[in-house]
Amino acid sequence: MNSERVLACMQCGKCTGSCPEAGKTPFNIRMIVRKKQFQRAIEEDLPWYCTSCSTCTIRCPRDVKPSEVIIDLRSALIEDGRIPASIQKALESTFVQKNPWGKPRSKRAEWTGKVDFEIPHISETKERRLLFTCCIQAYDPRCMVIPANVSRLLHSAGMEFGILGEEEACCGNEIRRMGEAGLFEELREENLANFKEYGVNEIITLSPHCMNTFRKEYGDLGIRVSHYSEVVQGLLERGAVKLESRYEKKVVYHDPCFLGKQNAIFDEPRTLLAKALGTNSLEFSRMRDNSLCCEGGGGRMFFDVETTYQRNSESRVKEALEMGAEVIATSCPFCVMNLEDPATEKGLSVKEVSEILVEVI
Amino acid sequence: MEIVVFTKRVPVTQEEELRILGDGQSVDLSKLPHRMNDWDNYAVEEAVKLIEKGGGGVTSVAIGDSESDEVLRRAIAMGARDGFLLEANEVLQDPFARATLTYNFLKKENMPFDAIFTGVQAEDEQFACFGGILAALLKIPYAAQVIGIDAVEKDHFVVRRELEGGLQERVKVSLPCLLSIQSGINEPRYVSIMGVRKASKVERKVFKASNYTDSGKSLVEITKWVYPPKKEGAAMLAGDVGEICSKLFAILKEKGVYQ
Amino acid sequence: MSDVLSASYVLVVAEVRRGLFEERNLDTIGLGRLLGSPVYLLLPDNASGVDASIVDKVIRVGADEGNFQNPLTMVSILTKVFETRGQPDFILFTHSSSGAECAAYAAGHFSLPVITDVSGFDRPTGTFSKSYYSDKVFAQFKSASSPSILTVRSGSFRDQVTRNQATADTESLGAFTAQEGRTFLDYVEEAGGAVDITKADFLLSVGRGIGSKDEIPRYEELAQTMKAVLSCSRPVVDKLWLPKERQVGTSGKTVKPKVYLAMAISGAFQHIAGMKDADCIIAINKDPEAPIFQYAHFGIVADVNKLRDKLIETAKAS
Repeated sequence: MNSERVLACMQCGKCTGSCPEAGKTPFNIRMIVRKKQFQRAIEEDLPWYCTSCSTCTIRCPRDVKPSEVIIDLRSALIEDGRIPASIQKALESTFVQKNPWGKPRSKRAEWTGKVDFEIPHISETKERRLLFTCCIQAYDPRCMVIPANVSRLLHSAGMEFGILGEEEACCGNEIRRMGEAGLFEELREENLANFKEYGVNEIITLSPHCMNTFRKEYGDLGIRVSHYSEVVQGLLERGAVKLESRYEKKVVYHDPCFLGKQNAIFDEPRTLLAKALGTNSLEFSRMRDNSLCCEGGGGRMFFDVETTYQRNSESRVKEALEMGAEVIATSCPFCVMNLEDPATEKGLSVKEVSEILVEVI
Repeated sequence: MEIVVFTKRVPVTQEEELRILGDGQSVDLSKLPHRMNDWDNYAVEEAVKLIEKGGGGVTSVAIGDSESDEVLRRAIAMGARDGFLLEANEVLQDPFARATLTYNFLKKENMPFDAIFTGVQAEDEQFACFGGILAALLKIPYAAQVIGIDAVEKDHFVVRRELEGGLQERVKVSLPCLLSIQSGINEPRYVSIMGVRKASKVERKVFKASNYTDSGKSLVEITKWVYPPKKEGAAMLAGDVGEICSKLFAILKEKGVYQ
Repeated sequence: MSDVLSASYVLVVAEVRRGLFEERNLDTIGLGRLLGSPVYLLLPDNASGVDASIVDKVIRVGADEGNFQNPLTMVSILTKVFETRGQPDFILFTHSSSGAECAAYAAGHFSLPVITDVSGFDRPTGTFSKSYYSDKVFAQFKSASSPSILTVRSGSFRDQVTRNQATADTESLGAFTAQEGRTFLDYVEEAGGAVDITKADFLLSVGRGIGSKDEIPRYEELAQTMKAVLSCSRPVVDKLWLPKERQVGTSGKTVKPKVYLAMAISGAFQHIAGMKDADCIIAINKDPEAPIFQYAHFGIVADVNKLRDKLIETAKAS
C-alpha cells in the first residue's frame, strides 16, 4: 500500500523534526521510512512508539504519510502474531467486549447512573441525535464524569439526544492505528449498522479520537459529526446554556492532537473556557497546531515503551507551573489521563473542559 | 508428531453479575460474550510450537454446540491443521461423561496421536478433570499443570509441572501421553481478524456426539445452583497496629502463602 | 446413594511437600470428619510433622513423595488399599496441583464420580458445593455412587478437625516402585535473576504513596520476610523506583496471584485491570476513600510505611 509512497521521500527530516518521540527515544521516523525505501528490516519494538499524532503526515512536503507507514508496519507484526502482550490484550478485549479495557459490554451505559435524569436510547428520540460515549469514558471512573457533564449541559439547554448504550462498540480509531485493520472493519461495520438502523442523523462525540475516525474513516456517513465543544459553544452563543458564575482559577489550555492539529478545532474549547473564566485561558508556548502530544494516542494507552525518558506530560506540567497556572484544561480523555499523574504530583489539577463548565452553570 | 488439542468455547464472566434462573435450575448465560478458554490458548500455542519445530500436525477438537466452531477457527488461525467439532447441544456437566464420549470418539474414529493436550481447566466449570479421566481411560500417562516442556524425544517428554509457592516438579512422561497445559507456559500468538477469516477456509469436520455417547454414564449431577454469601466491599481490619498485624498474618496463613 | 452417616471409612490422601505435611491437609481431614468416622490418612514414606491424633488410622506407603504423588503410582496404591481394607465411601485429595491430578486420573481408572474444589457440604441433601465461574455461583453436586472422589478447597473445613485422645495406629501398605510411563525426576525452584511477577503466588505491591525511592529497600525486606514477590503500580516505574518488569496494570502485566497485598496503591482503573482477578486482595492505604477498597477483599487504613515496619518486626519475632 504505502510501498510506493515511501519512494517519494526525500529525507528532509521534517517528520523526525516534528515527532514527539524524536530525540529522547530510539524512534526515528525518517530513518524508518529510509529503511522501508530499501526494504530493510526494522526493529520490532520501534513501530509501537508512535503516538499517531500525525504531525509528520501533516508536514511532509512529499505526502509520504509516515504515520500510515507505521500502521502498515504494525499490521505486518499483527499478522505474524508478534506484538507486545499488552497490545494483544487490548485487541483481544476489543474483539470480545468491544472495548480495549476488557470491561463487560453489558455495563457500557452504567455512567448514566451519575445523572439525575433519564437518558433515552437513540431509538426513543425524535431528533436521532446520538451522543457517542467512547470506551474510556464509559468505563474509567475518572473519565465517566465527562459524559455525565456533557449530558447535563445538553439537557439544561433542552437539546434532545440519545445513546446506543450496550450496543455501542469501540469507534476503532486506536484499533486502526494499532494495525488491526480487520478488527477495525468489524467495529466500523457494527457501528454503521447501528447508525443506519436507528436513523442517526447527528453524532456528538466526547472524544476527539471518535470524532476523527467517524469523520475521516467511516466513509460517506451522511451524518454530521461534531465534537461536543462545537455543539456547546453553539448553545452558549444562543443563550440556551447560561453561565451563572465564574471559574476563578488560572487555567492553561492544552490542545489535543486529534482535536487540534488533525481536525482544526482550536477555537471552540478556548471560547468555552474564556466564557467560563471571564478572560482568556493561558497558552503553552507549543500550542494549536504545534501542540505537544501527550503520548496517549496510537495505542500508547495500552503499551509502555521500554525506554525511560522525560514524558511530554511532565514537560507540559513544568511549563504550566512556570507560568503560574493552577489548572491544565484539555478536551480529550487520553490527554486528561496522561497529564493528570504528573500534574497531581506537582499540585496542579487537570480538568476536561466540561468539568469547568459544569462548575459555573 | 501428531498432537490433538481439546479446546472449549466458554462464556466471559469477569465483572458480570450472573443470574440464577428458576429455583436454582440454571445460570443465565444468554447475554454473555464467549471466547476460547484461556488455558486452551496456551495449549494450542504449545502444540503448534512443537510441530513448527519438529514437524507433524495439530488437530483441534471442541465439544459443544455449533457456535464452538469459533474456537476451532481460532486454533486453525494459530497453526492447527484441522478442527473437529463433536457437536453436542446439551452441556455435559459431568467430566466423566465428557471424557467417555471423547474416548469413544477417539477410538471409533481411529484418531492417531503422540500426545493430547488440554488446558489445565475450563474457565466456566474449573473442574480440571477432563484430561486426567481421559488419560486413565486411554491408559496413557498423564501430567497436569505443565508449565514447561523441557525435552521432546521420540518416546518421551521431560516436563515441568507447576506446584504451589513457586516450586516445580520435573517428570519424565512416555509417549503417547496426555498433558494439561498451564497458563504462562508460553505467550500465545495474537490471532488477527484477517487470520481468522483465512482460517475459515479450512474445513471443520462435524461429528455428532450422540454417536459416541454411552447411555447412563453420568456419575455426578448438579441438583441446584446457589449464590455465594454476599460480599460487602472490603472487610476492614481494625484494632491497634499489633492486632492488625496478627489479623493480616492469619489471613496470609489461611490462604496458604505464609507459614 | 451412600448414607454418609455410616461410611465404612474415608480415605484422606495426604499432600506432602519435601517431607513436610502441608497445612491444606487439615481441610481434607476436616471434611473427612464431617463425612463420618473413621478417617484413614494415606501418607508417603518420607512424611514428617504429622499429628496422628486428628485421624483414626495412618497408612504409610512404601514410596516417597515423588513416587506417591505420581498418578500412575497412586492408582496402584489405591488398588492395594481397596484390596486390603475394602473400598472407602470417599477418597479425599487436597485441591492442589498434585491432588487434582491424582484425583482425576484415579476417577478415570476406577470409573468413580469425582467432584473438585469442594468448599461446602450440605448434610440434609448430601450434596457438595463446587465453585463455578470463579466463585460467582456455586453448584450443589450429588454423587451417583460410592466411593466418590473429592478434592477439597484449602481453608474450607479445617475447623472441623477434631482430636482423639490417642494418636492413631500406623499400618504399612508395602512398597511401590516407580511406574513405567511416568517418573519423578526432581523438584525445581523458580530461577533467580529476571523476575516474572505473573508466576508469583503472593505479590506485595507498592504504589506511589510510599513516598520515595528510599522506602523501597524496607519493602524488599518485607517481601523477602513474607516470601512475597515485590511488584508495583505504574507511577513507581515511571519514577524509576522499581524496574518495569515489576509493573502491574494495563500497560504492565496482568497477575492472578493467590494474595495481592497492595500497599499505598490508590486503585486507579489501569492498575485494577491488572490484578482484579487475584484470589485475595488486601489493600493498605492511609486514605479511607481510596478506590482500591472497592476491589479489595480486606482493607486496612493505616500509615503504610509504619505498618510495614511493624509487619517486619512481627514476622521476624515469630
